[in-house]
Amino acid sequence: MRNLYGRFLLLAGLALGAHAALSQAAPRLPGELAWVIRYDPKTFDPAKVDEQASEMVRYMTGGVLLRLNRQTQEPEPQLAESYNVSPQGTLIVFKLRQGLRFSDGAALTSADVAWSIRRVLAPATQAPVAEEFLSPAEVTVDTPDKLTIRVHLPKRVIGVGKLFDWIAIEPADRPSEGRVTSGPFTVAEYKRGQYVRLKRNPNYWRRDGAGVQLPYATGVRMDILNNREQEIALFLRGEYDLIDGLPADYFNLLTQKAPKSTRDLGASLNSEQLWFNQSSVAALPDFEKAWFLNRSFRVSVSQAIHRADLARIAYDGHATPAFGFISPANTIWHNNNLKYPHESTADAARMLEAAGFHRSGNQLYDGTGHPVKFSILTNAGNAARQKMAAMIQQDLAALGMQVTVVTLDFPALIERLMHKQDYEACLLGVSNAEPDPSSMMNMWLSSSPNHQWNPSEKTPATEWEAEIDKQMQLQASNPAQSTRKAAVDRVQQIVADQQPFIYLVYPNVLQAVSPQLRGVQPAILSPGLVWNIESIRRQEGSR
Amino acid sequence: MTKRMPAAALLLLIASAALTLMFSRYDYAHQDRDAIMASSSEEHSTGTDELGRDRTVRVAAALLVGLTGATAAAAITTLIAACFGLLAAFSPRSIAIVLLFVSDLFLSLPWLFLLMMARSLLPLTASPVETAVTTFLVLAALGWPACARAIYRGAVQLRYTEWMIYGHACGLRTQQLIRLHLLPHLRSLFLPQFLICVPAFIVAEANLGALGLGVGEPLPSWGAMLLELDNSALLARSHWVYLPIVLLVVVLLILESFSSEGGTNA
Repeated sequence: MRNLYGRFLLLAGLALGAHAALSQAAPRLPGELAWVIRYDPKTFDPAKVDEQASEMVRYMTGGVLLRLNRQTQEPEPQLAESYNVSPQGTLIVFKLRQGLRFSDGAALTSADVAWSIRRVLAPATQAPVAEEFLSPAEVTVDTPDKLTIRVHLPKRVIGVGKLFDWIAIEPADRPSEGRVTSGPFTVAEYKRGQYVRLKRNPNYWRRDGAGVQLPYATGVRMDILNNREQEIALFLRGEYDLIDGLPADYFNLLTQKAPKSTRDLGASLNSEQLWFNQSSVAALPDFEKAWFLNRSFRVSVSQAIHRADLARIAYDGHATPAFGFISPANTIWHNNNLKYPHESTADAARMLEAAGFHRSGNQLYDGTGHPVKFSILTNAGNAARQKMAAMIQQDLAALGMQVTVVTLDFPALIERLMHKQDYEACLLGVSNAEPDPSSMMNMWLSSSPNHQWNPSEKTPATEWEAEIDKQMQLQASNPAQSTRKAAVDRVQQIVADQQPFIYLVYPNVLQAVSPQLRGVQPAILSPGLVWNIESIRRQEGSR
Repeated sequence: MTKRMPAAALLLLIASAALTLMFSRYDYAHQDRDAIMASSSEEHSTGTDELGRDRTVRVAAALLVGLTGATAAAAITTLIAACFGLLAAFSPRSIAIVLLFVSDLFLSLPWLFLLMMARSLLPLTASPVETAVTTFLVLAALGWPACARAIYRGAVQLRYTEWMIYGHACGLRTQQLIRLHLLPHLRSLFLPQFLICVPAFIVAEANLGALGLGVGEPLPSWGAMLLELDNSALLARSHWVYLPIVLLVVVLLILESFSSEGGTNA
């Protein structure tokens, strides 16, 4: 009997999890800003950053030559007073500001900049940004004087300016993992699984219009917390100043409780999509492979999905129906003249019939008499994706397709997708950290392991994939913006015609900001709310 | 009297659930996309869930799925336990030791991981009904060792009773003795074991479902519905989200009253 009551208590605990006692956040220091990161940073070495938590620390602490303005999407001089790119695009000359100092008081000169760039480019560092220079081993850096740095590139790199946003300038030969920096903050304290505390850099170069040294905040505390319920409760209590990337259902809850705090910035750069496994090495029966390789099949599925319902129900209206891989939020690259398959279950059924499928009762059969049944994989723990999958299940039932929805934990899902190719269809999202399509090359080139529907093709499997390869290479190498735009528009149209990815929605950017914060300029590009961290301050006692 | 009340309550619940499924205008999987998280209305007496599915129908289906699956699994597990316990009790000592070691080994296995493993080995296209059957079969396959131990103890005690020795002396074979005399005596042990297993399996399925590993969508299950309670945003939208947990506790209390009654009698 006691055992059973124990189980009741377990269930009750689950049921009332939302109301469970909340843990206390670490105490806030005067003038300190506080928010949450989901997990421990893997590294504090700014050259080795390859995930979001570490990237957040690098952004807060690393001084850079140029910073991408997250609103205008243009690089702006920071430690560099000015910069110049040669007409051939192979020489970049930076001129440093006078009197720059690191947080420990040491002078910052061109030697430090050259050392930092060389370190990032060195193969031993394995810095992810190095690959963006195309041939990092052939890049050379020289310093004619203490304020000038010249970077020689073997060939033009499109959008090279933004790459310097990712290179933190450290003291030459003294890498300190964020303890000595040229950015607005330095790492003061790190408690694994609890928080990362940053303190103000007293020698930061930047001042506001009134001559007050920035940053305004005395420090930043980033609590390591992967629990939305707690995060929101602590935000409402005033323990946290902001939340970036709110799930839609929590956004509405927060809007009810603190309507002045929440902001919906509209469509993000990210997309949610469904795709079928078209890999030739997939362990699928031949008749199933034939469905997935059939354009009419993919287009019919796309036509039968009610995207507006997905956005309205799975995201509580905080998402935008998606038809292409570039979100309308990406105003420079979005193809406004995109022609995509219109939503119509009747037309989808006719297209399937024309492609040799036939229906008997509630079941669709292919030309060889096999019932059309397949599974859609998605990851456990993402409520919006699970809801979308269940809705697609019903939408496709209208065509006579029997769909099962399978949720797997992320490692198991990735194992099936990337290593075994053991799946039929998958519903996942893509996060685009930056708007330039060059950053999406690894998804579109047919030879790439991240070319999800058919990874690592030795040669393009279809003519349209060869055309995508060609256009993506063109946009990555041609300096003329109009040529690049035309190439990217062409790729968007091919993808809309062929539907290798069936785009579903662009989730909106949902944020919450404490009314006590001043100087926040929300942006859709990462790090969203805090991209201008130097100018953000907390006004005490004005809730 | 004490037995009749819970039995009547349980029958009433089952009958209500069956009638709801038979006469409701909605299928448990039907999504009314214009009535998402709707509150109580003429159309949906206890509102709808996040996909606009009628909550009354889904709770009724979950109740029947849970009770049917758990009852079947409990019957299987009791049968396995009975066979295993009797075999150990009437085998030579060395074989009994090996059998009991096997049952102890099963008891010490991390059952949750085994369940997860078994669930992940299912083909991806397994239908929701197949996932439900597999889930309860796996529960049955892993739930027998504790029962087997209890049945072994009871059988060993009876093995050396006077009437058993007398039966042997009269020329009855072991199988005959077990069938004609031992099993009727052990019935009072089997019944509580069975009755204990039913709520235990309902709770186990609910826990698995809450981890996303139980019965596949769109077939309703307690576990899947309890997942809603993990989201305070939903709790704020409708009080009807508490219905599955309330009903589950009621069902478990009824079943518990059966098993404690059975245990007292035993």
